[in-house]
Amino acid sequence: MLRKLFVAIPLAAAVAGTASAGRSDDPAAVLQALIESTDSFYLTQSEQNLMMMPDSPALWTVEEGEALFHEARGPNNVSLEGCDFGKGPGVLEGAYVELPRYFEDTGKVMDLGNRLIHCMKTLQGFADDDPAITKIHGSGTDHMKLQTYIAAQSNGMAWNPPLDHPLEKAMRDAGEVVFHRRSGPFDFNCAVCHGAEGKRIRASVLPYANNPKEWTKAISWPAFRVGHDNLRSTQHRISECVWQMRYPEIVAGSDLSIAIGSFWTDMARGQPAILPDMKR
Amino acid sequence: MFDRKTPAIAVLATLALAGSYATAADVDYTKMTPQELAEHLMFEAGGFKLDVEVQEGGTAKQRLVQDELQKVCTETRNKPSPEQVAALTAAARETVKYPEGDIKLGDWKKGRDLAWSGFGYRVGHRTDDHSKSEPGGNCYNCHEFAGDRQGGTIGPSLRNYGKLRGTEQPILKLVYGIIYNAQSMFPCTTMPRQGANGLLSEEQILDVMAYLFDPTSPVNKE
Repeated sequence: MLRKLFVAIPLAAAVAGTASAGRSDDPAAVLQALIESTDSFYLTQSEQNLMMMPDSPALWTVEEGEALFHEARGPNNVSLEGCDFGKGPGVLEGAYVELPRYFEDTGKVMDLGNRLIHCMKTLQGFADDDPAITKIHGSGTDHMKLQTYIAAQSNGMAWNPPLDHPLEKAMRDAGEVVFHRRSGPFDFNCAVCHGAEGKRIRASVLPYANNPKEWTKAISWPAFRVGHDNLRSTQHRISECVWQMRYPEIVAGSDLSIAIGSFWTDMARGQPAILPDMKR
Repeated sequence: MFDRKTPAIAVLATLALAGSYATAADVDYTKMTPQELAEHLMFEAGGFKLDVEVQEGGTAKQRLVQDELQKVCTETRNKPSPEQVAALTAAARETVKYPEGDIKLGDWKKGRDLAWSGFGYRVGHRTDDHSKSEPGGNCYNCHEFAGDRQGGTIGPSLRNYGKLRGTEQPILKLVYGIIYNAQSMFPCTTMPRQGANGLLSEEQILDVMAYLFDPTSPVNKE
């Protein structure tokens, strides 16, 4: 396992810090290249996770998701190959790093979760209350298998969500307001934990939102949460943050959650995504 | 400002429960300022579950209503002007309810448990049940105390706190005020208002102070 890392390092160093890096099959190599390119307490906090990444259970989930994606399913008995994730129907490479984005057909800014559910309902005919639609958390769900597969097709590519459409900019800017809004019985906002470099909450080193090389890992979801023994999505992470901050419960896929996701993706712009990642 | 022709709240509520996504249909987000849109998404567009009961009584919605302190610190990105500093610290000092008579340190063992505990006031997928366990101080999230357990570094280290400062009444009174309402000393600080917001009782604050100041506490044996 360690030998693989030593081989990967020179290769990874070649793509270190380049925003134009192309798609990679190896999330561990993408992370290793980032580590080599900068000096970050956050990125290097778990040697164990880095060692485990080549054997991450998430890689199995990618394969399960790939099979599900191409399978004819639902009342309409069609696959998801016709789904447009922003770069045209069936184009998966680079689609995830350009989300959230505006979609003409719905008139909304959507993240991967929303868009996936949209296609499962409109193309495959799944009903609103079908478990395939409603169950969005856990490695065993269709939703997470599909999210993980689709996201993995952007591994190593630079975050690049579009901001040309006025709605995209509006959502991103609203997300920034929420990020800095002191709220709740603890007076918390996102910046309390993510507004400085090299800080720890208990034993966990926190990513600094203004350091794109740290923030790209921070937002690389789906990621295998070792402590949960499950793959977790962006929506899951947002809801966990909001829970700890003593805010009300956030609604997954609501425009509020999309606005937060829009802002936080913009903050990692240009840095390579690590998908699927592994976290504590 | 904007017209909402059809109240979509009922539809939103059912869709939210079904795990589906929706927005209030007739609102133009691009005509709003970022602040207006953020408030709209939080309060009117089904972003949060606002009607859920919360541990302090009332519903979750009230947690999002900002008071003066939160507004000023938000607007200034936690860099209030000298005038604002004076106003904020004065207002914060007014909120501090000191114990009767001298500050008497409590039980440092209870204080240690309170400092370590991260329990309390969370709502959502797991709502903290205060009838099962008392809310803690969350102190270790941000502070180091003693070498036995890993504390955070968002706030300053509190190692040897009592040893370095002694236990005379003036310092005890000062620290009581900080724990009760840290804004009285550090305007726009990230430290929650433990006493002023009802998070810790007087007895609990005195227990935490014992953990900090008692010469036999592990904090002072570093």
